[in-house]
Amino acid sequence: MVTFIIRRLIGTIFLLIVVSMITFAIFFLIPRLAGQNTYQLAAQYVGRNPTRDAILQVERQLGLADPLYLQYGRFLRGIVFGAHYRTGPTDTYCPPPCFGYSFRSQLPVWPQMISSVPVTLSLAIGASVLWLIGGVSIGVLSALRRGTLFDRFSMAVALAGVSLPIFFTGLVALELFSYKWPIFPNVQYVPFTDNPLLWARNLVLPWLVLAFLYAALYARLTRAGMLETMSEDYIRTARAKGLPERRVIFKHGLRAALTPIVTIFGMDLGLLLGGAIITEVTFSLHGLGLFTVQAINNQDLPEILGVTMLAAFFIVIANLVVDIFYAVLDPRVRF
Amino acid sequence: MRRRRLYGLAAFGAAAALTLAACSSSGSSSSSSGGNTSGAGSAPAFNSGVTSVVNPSTHKGGTLTFDWRAAPDSFDPGNTYYAAVWNFARFYSTALMTFKNCPGSCGKTLVPALATAPGVASDNGLTWTYHIKSGVKYQDGTPVTSKDVKYAIERTFDRGVLPNGPNYFANLLGGNAKTYPGPYKDRAKNLMGLTAIDTPDATTVVFHLKAPFSDMDYLLTIPQSAPVPPDKDTGASYQTHIVSTGPYKFESYQLNKAAVLVPNTEWNASQFPTVSQLPSKLVVNMNMNPNDVDNRLLAGDAQVDFAGTGVQAAARAKILSNPTLKAQSDAPITGFGWFFYIDSQVAPFTNLACRQAIQYAANHLTLQNAYGGPVAGGAIGSTVMPPTVAGYQNFDLYEATTKTQGDPAKAKQLLQTCGQPNGFSTGIAYRSDRPTETQGAQALQQALSAVGIKTTLHGYPSATYFTNFAGVPKYMSSHNIGIAFGGWGADWPDGYGFLSQLVSGPSIVPAGNTNIGMLNDPVVNDLFTKAAGITDEAQRNAIWGQIDRQVMKDSVIVPIVYAKALIYRPPSLTNVYFNQAYQLNNYAVQGLTGG
Amino acid sequence: MAVPIDVATGPGGPEPVPAPAVAGKAIEGRSLGQIAWIRLRQDKVAMAGGIVVIFLILVAIFGPYIVQNPLTYHENLIDPTFSRPYGTLGGISAAHPFGVEPITGRDLLARVVNGARVSLIIAFLSTALAVSIGVVMGVIAGFFGGWVDSVIARAMDIFLAFPLLVFAIALVGVIPSSAFGLSGNSLRIGLLVFVIGFFAWPYMGRIIRGQTLSLREREFVDAARSLGARGPYILFRELLPNLVGPILVYSTLLIPTNILFEAALSYLGVGIIPPTPSWGGMISDAVNNGIYSVDPMYMIIPGLAIFITVMAFNLFGDGLRDALDPKSSR
Repeated sequence: MVTFIIRRLIGTIFLLIVVSMITFAIFFLIPRLAGQNTYQLAAQYVGRNPTRDAILQVERQLGLADPLYLQYGRFLRGIVFGAHYRTGPTDTYCPPPCFGYSFRSQLPVWPQMISSVPVTLSLAIGASVLWLIGGVSIGVLSALRRGTLFDRFSMAVALAGVSLPIFFTGLVALELFSYKWPIFPNVQYVPFTDNPLLWARNLVLPWLVLAFLYAALYARLTRAGMLETMSEDYIRTARAKGLPERRVIFKHGLRAALTPIVTIFGMDLGLLLGGAIITEVTFSLHGLGLFTVQAINNQDLPEILGVTMLAAFFIVIANLVVDIFYAVLDPRVRF
Repeated sequence: MRRRRLYGLAAFGAAAALTLAACSSSGSSSSSSGGNTSGAGSAPAFNSGVTSVVNPSTHKGGTLTFDWRAAPDSFDPGNTYYAAVWNFARFYSTALMTFKNCPGSCGKTLVPALATAPGVASDNGLTWTYHIKSGVKYQDGTPVTSKDVKYAIERTFDRGVLPNGPNYFANLLGGNAKTYPGPYKDRAKNLMGLTAIDTPDATTVVFHLKAPFSDMDYLLTIPQSAPVPPDKDTGASYQTHIVSTGPYKFESYQLNKAAVLVPNTEWNASQFPTVSQLPSKLVVNMNMNPNDVDNRLLAGDAQVDFAGTGVQAAARAKILSNPTLKAQSDAPITGFGWFFYIDSQVAPFTNLACRQAIQYAANHLTLQNAYGGPVAGGAIGSTVMPPTVAGYQNFDLYEATTKTQGDPAKAKQLLQTCGQPNGFSTGIAYRSDRPTETQGAQALQQALSAVGIKTTLHGYPSATYFTNFAGVPKYMSSHNIGIAFGGWGADWPDGYGFLSQLVSGPSIVPAGNTNIGMLNDPVVNDLFTKAAGITDEAQRNAIWGQIDRQVMKDSVIVPIVYAKALIYRPPSLTNVYFNQAYQLNNYAVQGLTGG
Repeated sequence: MAVPIDVATGPGGPEPVPAPAVAGKAIEGRSLGQIAWIRLRQDKVAMAGGIVVIFLILVAIFGPYIVQNPLTYHENLIDPTFSRPYGTLGGISAAHPFGVEPITGRDLLARVVNGARVSLIIAFLSTALAVSIGVVMGVIAGFFGGWVDSVIARAMDIFLAFPLLVFAIALVGVIPSSAFGLSGNSLRIGLLVFVIGFFAWPYMGRIIRGQTLSLREREFVDAARSLGARGPYILFRELLPNLVGPILVYSTLLIPTNILFEAALSYLGVGIIPPTPSWGGMISDAVNNGIYSVDPMYMIIPGLAIFITVMAFNLFGDGLRDALDPKSSR
């Protein structure tokens, strides 16, 4: 078991390095392909109407003309050992993991990302609790009451849920419940440590919008899985053995049906932790997703790199956790 | 994020002679209500704040809350180019010069702030001498000296550390300004190492210029000239530890989230009549949702929209259809101009007639709608400079204000003249993250297609628009992009501040170019040189008007609108009026009503 | 962003569609296709979805020739003070059945119909790309196993580790307006198809790999092998025909996902270049100009268009999957 975990961890690190290399290469090369030279890149960082000398100076300082492998090496070294940046009379030390220094906003990237993480975390985890409980229970109930009005109705709603674009649902919810009828006015993130009640209240709309989409998906998945499982032979055997129905459903049926749900949940949560971009943009929540969009709009390479790496990290770690979970749960799984 | 105020403002009142007559206030202190030009005591109505002080009051106390949809490029006075921040920075920093606190064009008058009087030019305008007030202290009690002013300007030379502010000093100062690396590298050698500035004693600052420059007083209203103590300067992180010389100091500042300022006890009100210390606390909330900002303003939870660019469409509808709310709002001409350039280096725009054809082909009405219509967008423009800029002259060479939907017939005639009777193809560049420009480009495309000009739209991100695309002359030529959208707000509201980077030949650069029309007209260039040497304001202003006219004749710029902003002023806000210098309401005098 | 497809309908991974009786057996058994068609025909809801899908495709192909010009401005229909159309519900009238766009006055019906064309083209092409790559990779991985499988599985992991939306936005934003010999909207469409399709192939790949793996162990493959059949024969004659079912089903279910993905990219500002209309782009305009509070129809109509399209594909895809799976009974 332990060797399995260690092997997977090593694989994870390898994966992250590969992702970082590809990301770095893409964002390094594409502007070159677009015909941009390093002088123009430096010009982006020196404000308006600068002197030519100033641009050249900055180009040198930022090492923009260095070859790809050198810049990548610097980047890696920063993550592991930290880096020093010239920010005035004294240098600023950017402690590891140092994802670079954004010269546009003049702040190290890592603290900016970290301050956005609680928002995304609150959004993702809150919504995931809601959709897991809601989606799975509705799916189970639908499967058990297959063909009834409840089943048809809930599956119809679920189908609608997965067919609606999330930004549309979000905008309608915002317009109705925040502006027209101010039930949730001013959807602004308040840190949990400041005011838990306000934190929850301001997140209810984004949670519900996000959870609606995923709950619909999970309800459909759970229902299909349950139907599949409940028609297996071993369920019939369990019933024949005289086990109470509840035990049959939950211990035998649901448990088996849940394994694919767990896989997908891991992937979904991992993706969301990297930034629920659309939800955050729609509700103006300053999490990783909005940070990403702003970084891209500003063409701020260190920030884009940092946030891509962080998002990839979450995805990969989530998959790892799910795999380990699997290995623990299902004795048949062998690696 | 949209940076509509990126082009900053430092408006200066140019024609002191003209404006003194117009301004009925006798330069009374900003905390009194003396600036009323209309009848004091009349109930405020729509646009009252444009010409008079609304809710004049000296009441002290309360928390003045600013809500902002964005965040500053920096609050560091030496590292910012946002008009709103230059306006707000007077609360915690004192530049050498500032503007008078009065509404209307009176607000463009230059008055001294840290300086005792406007600068004295000598040496044929190559040397400027200023004296700073004595006894001025920082928030920690240490005295302000002339060396601090020199240092404040020196630190802006290091673009690697402080990249955001304007570059005038590096471009205009003489001495070793061209190669001066800033005071951070090799502190021993470069601290106080800028030879272009002398500090013969603790209260005197002497500037040595490369060439005569008559707008020096204007230049020194920019917060870059506000003193910074060298031993307390931490470079890029100074923005979180600013040492104040204004009526307020920072109590807390969470980067990009919120800032709280409290009164600075070391500030001497009698020395600085140009700023007030009325509220007992200032709060700035950043990165808010623009609709939320509007709602909070209407509900009274916040008093000022920091950005000052007007309310969103939803609030606009609410305000304009409700008479009470409408009476509590103003729609001033801000001094910002939206237009599009015609690149005279890109065929067939090398031919004047082809350029003029565009002036007639454009549908000014749909363009105006694209920018928000007559109330929220602005009035259709026919000159490069908006009416609030000193030197503005009213003329309309291409019937833009009379034939608002364009004149396709005339356009087709001109196309014949320039040898393109069947039209031609070209590209239109615009900033894709600005909804107004996106709409504008589409409106223009539609209008031009009616006369046979086929266009392809090229949207670029704002961040790289000038450095990589529209501002790179080679790029425009090689990609056959003849039209580029843009806008301008003067760094100071006279012709130089508005026009010099737009239309003067020497300002053309290979990257980051803002003279996208590629105008290198000797007539225009000569007029600029002439104006730089004239010290008489009225004479100088006449020249700006001539330049504008010549540029319109050369037809490298097609004006769209003189921008307006629908600004809401909550009833609890006092001393509200629009200041033409900052193109915003004057923040430095505002307070709150009691209760 | 939502998981692109409805994966895994059973425990332990994607559900293998069980092998049918091999086509061509002499008894009057029906082929899989025939069985599936009969079952599908009986599923009223799925048929309804299918009909809507066909209708939408027809609208996308022929609609733009019937409706007005989507680019013509009607500035007289717009109230300039408020930038919104005169009249109620966004200016609905006989001349403009869906009303007009705010600010410009362009006919909304025309824009929605033209937007359908763009959305469907991108969705179909990107799905085709994802399916092509995914099937090839999945079959190779599942059939050959061993180190080939490991390498391909690792590659799929790497792709899945990329934050999709971030990449799409960044890439589309960075590539210039003319490259690779294309320019303007053809370049943008190509880019979107590439990004959406290229990053979606692992989802298809995983399913096909799972299917291939389980099919490989089935008796009929053993039977064919014992009869002397070798790799390529088994691959093309035994495995691939049985994969047609899942390929069809999951392709149909991938299309709506890609429609939503393209709409999301347009909403975030990296979609089709204006003035060509796109549904997500219209919603994005509604938000950016703050118009949606003032003229809600401008947001609702394209939103509903997306909803109906996606729902129809989902219904049809669900029905198709149920029809091809003999174990499920409606």
